[in-house]
Amino acid sequence: MKERSNKFDFREKKDKLIAKLLTKYPSLFRKWVHRSEFIEFSDSPWTQFDSDISKCRLALVTTGGVHLRSQKPFNMKDPAGDPTFREIPADTLPADLTITHNYYDHADADKDVNIVFPIERVQELKQSGEIGDVNYRHFSFMGHIMHHHIKTLMKETAPQIAAALKSDKVDIVILTPA
Amino acid sequence: MGLIQRTIEASGIATISISLSKDISQKVLPPRAVYSGFPLGHPIGFPGETFRQKQILRMLLKYLKKINSPGTIADLDLTESDDYSVSCDICAFG
Repeated sequence: MKERSNKFDFREKKDKLIAKLLTKYPSLFRKWVHRSEFIEFSDSPWTQFDSDISKCRLALVTTGGVHLRSQKPFNMKDPAGDPTFREIPADTLPADLTITHNYYDHADADKDVNIVFPIERVQELKQSGEIGDVNYRHFSFMGHIMHHHIKTLMKETAPQIAAALKSDKVDIVILTPA
Repeated sequence: MGLIQRTIEASGIATISISLSKDISQKVLPPRAVYSGFPLGHPIGFPGETFRQKQILRMLLKYLKKINSPGTIADLDLTESDDYSVSCDICAFG
């Protein structure tokens, strides 16, 4: 057990170091992207948008690993990642949020969560009347999702949040990676 | 993240995202994306820069209306040192 936990500590340190380097050096990140595999598509789904934005309800979806301090953190022990999501009430204070994600350097986002999850900024756009409404909840994933977890994401968790946003009558979703 | 965006768009909700990598976006083809040019971990900008963060959101909403071809990745190539306090035509709302 001890050996396994040492192994995890080492991998966690390695992941965090790689994340720091990829964040600091965009050319390294580009090299990493070239060496990685992504699912490829030749077309995109499409929902026509010609509504008045000042009357629209908006929700946020991030893959920045943001969650309430009171929620279960994303799983960092599984090298294939974590396809689950956390629901974040729209009126959550930044002080009640934290980030669990070892695959990017979130030192800046720890200082101001709005740079990956602009929860306060969208409220301000509502107050100024630039958008109609902020949905009562947003959703957050941890963007490192690989191998068998991709199927869970595609078949289960992504459809679950799409259905939730649809039932909330959300008109616009802004998605932020990290 | 593009996979999640595709699923939400397919359910009938209009979506737009920040792209941190044109290479990834060109493969996953989210319906609408804006490549900001900001580094990893900074899709909406930098700590404490509330005005620029809001401008980035306004810019996304502008492109939500503007993009009319599925799979478009608008390329802005912003940098941390851009003078965002004066050059806000990209963010002009409406």
